[in-house]
Amino acid sequence: MGNAALRDIASIESIPFDELEGSVVAVDAHNWLYRYLTTTVKWTNSSTYTTPDGTEVANLVGMVQGLPKFFEHDIVPVMVFDGGPSDLKTDEIESRREQRESYEEQLEVAREEGDQVAIAQLESYTQRLTPTIQETSRELLRFLDVPVVEAPAEGEAQAANIVRNGDADYVGSEDYDALLFGSPRTLRQLTSKGDPELMDLQATLDDHDLTLEQLIDVAIMIGTDFNHGVDGVGPKTALSLVHEHGDLWSALEARGDHVEYGDRVRQLFRDPNVTDDYEFTTDLDPDVAAARDYVCEEWAVDADEVARGFERIEESLVQSGLDRWT
Amino acid sequence: MFKAIVSAETLSSALDSVSVLVEECKIHLEEDGLRIRAVDPANVGMVDLSLDADAFESYEADGGLIGVDLSRLEDIAGMAESGQLVQLELDEETRKLHAQIEGLEYTLALIDPDSIRQEPDIPDLDLPARVVLEGKDVNRAVTAADMVSDHIALGVDEAEEYFYVDAEGDTDDVHLELTADDLIDLEVGSAHSLFSLDYLKDMNKAIPADAEVAADLGEEFPIKMYFGFAEGQGQVTYMLAPRIQSD
Repeated sequence: MGNAALRDIASIESIPFDELEGSVVAVDAHNWLYRYLTTTVKWTNSSTYTTPDGTEVANLVGMVQGLPKFFEHDIVPVMVFDGGPSDLKTDEIESRREQRESYEEQLEVAREEGDQVAIAQLESYTQRLTPTIQETSRELLRFLDVPVVEAPAEGEAQAANIVRNGDADYVGSEDYDALLFGSPRTLRQLTSKGDPELMDLQATLDDHDLTLEQLIDVAIMIGTDFNHGVDGVGPKTALSLVHEHGDLWSALEARGDHVEYGDRVRQLFRDPNVTDDYEFTTDLDPDVAAARDYVCEEWAVDADEVARGFERIEESLVQSGLDRWT
Repeated sequence: MFKAIVSAETLSSALDSVSVLVEECKIHLEEDGLRIRAVDPANVGMVDLSLDADAFESYEADGGLIGVDLSRLEDIAGMAESGQLVQLELDEETRKLHAQIEGLEYTLALIDPDSIRQEPDIPDLDLPARVVLEGKDVNRAVTAADMVSDHIALGVDEAEEYFYVDAEGDTDDVHLELTADDLIDLEVGSAHSLFSLDYLKDMNKAIPADAEVAADLGEEFPIKMYFGFAEGQGQVTYMLAPRIQSD
């Protein structure tokens, strides 16, 4: 989930939810979902989210826990899913499964060839999200009228692109790599208790007198999701190397070091596979009753497990806030 | 610098009207009296309170700001018997508030005001209708509505010139009409808004039965309720955001 060492150089400050009201957040859906999925699996009895035929839909329990926070603070989440089929129709499940199998095959090949970049990318696509989870997550979001965007590749890169295009105010991700994908403003800890953190790209660049390209080079030296860093090089050393030598190659040359696939990783951050071909509206009209039926009837999730979450969403829809008049 | 003597009853009334919305608040210790403004965490209910220096037996302050845990301070005020006075003094060095009731001394640790939720901006409301009624009528309406529903509609019938209260439950309904004759005053205007009873019930608790309550209303607008306490030397304004009406 990105390199936490980037935190040492990132410009981060706490931001109260009050200041986020009315904003649109392009959420790295995989990253977000994964947090709730792991919490649910860890703390909830699996019988509450297992259908009679043995299919596990812990994602539905986790999402109903996580989504109210957006509604209560009047934040529109735009869920940006990692690359894959974009259509939500059930007859697409098959093709999505095929896609996943194809990723897994590619992953095997990449492992045989030792292609670190491809391995990291493919691992993130295939990680834990079963076709059922992929499908039911999107379907639940559809009932709640939460916009979904299908990224051509990394959800995080696509989310950053949406913010850069001015179609959302923030990227929502725990991942420090969001900075490297050029996310101007990233909200971290949307899944935690308390106020989120705002990670600001321009402030980060200004603090260290770097360009985005140089920041990417610094990150590659300390290590990213897609490469191991240079041994013994931490944030401070990487910064001074890039300051002194200008870019990754000169810095590596000066040290006599090498970063495998450095060029590809650099390309991946500098010119990520993203699209401007997306569409969503931010005026949400959730059908909570239909969402509840979908989760509790169609997928047989224990109603008690999700009652509070749905109530919180309902309440947020019927009660206005005084700030509307200030 | 802050040093004041106040009747326990006045102090309790002031604190109670804030604690129905928040657990902690900032208190401005102005030269001419205390001022508190707070909004609940969901941003739905707001209180704006002032207690004039004249409401105190003695009062000295120079514009300081303290943060308090309301229930702790209420507990202290609650130790006093009817008619007893509470003496309050701020120790600037230790940032503690000393309270004395007869022989009882209580030292209250204060909260860093910066750690308390920011004070809200007062909504800019231009509400067309005004209903002035007694506190006991507010209580009657809220109590009746609470028997059947979790929300309440308040409005003014412009043609017939009356103020109405509607609560619709799953099976039972409550309806109350008050004409100008039943009210202290009625300024007719276009008004109909829905409110959460959870909030109104809490606010109602702090409204004295004999208080004159001025309620300003609009079409799907917040309600603004104004009333005095401590013989008019304390003033409370509540604002409550409406529930969104489904089409």
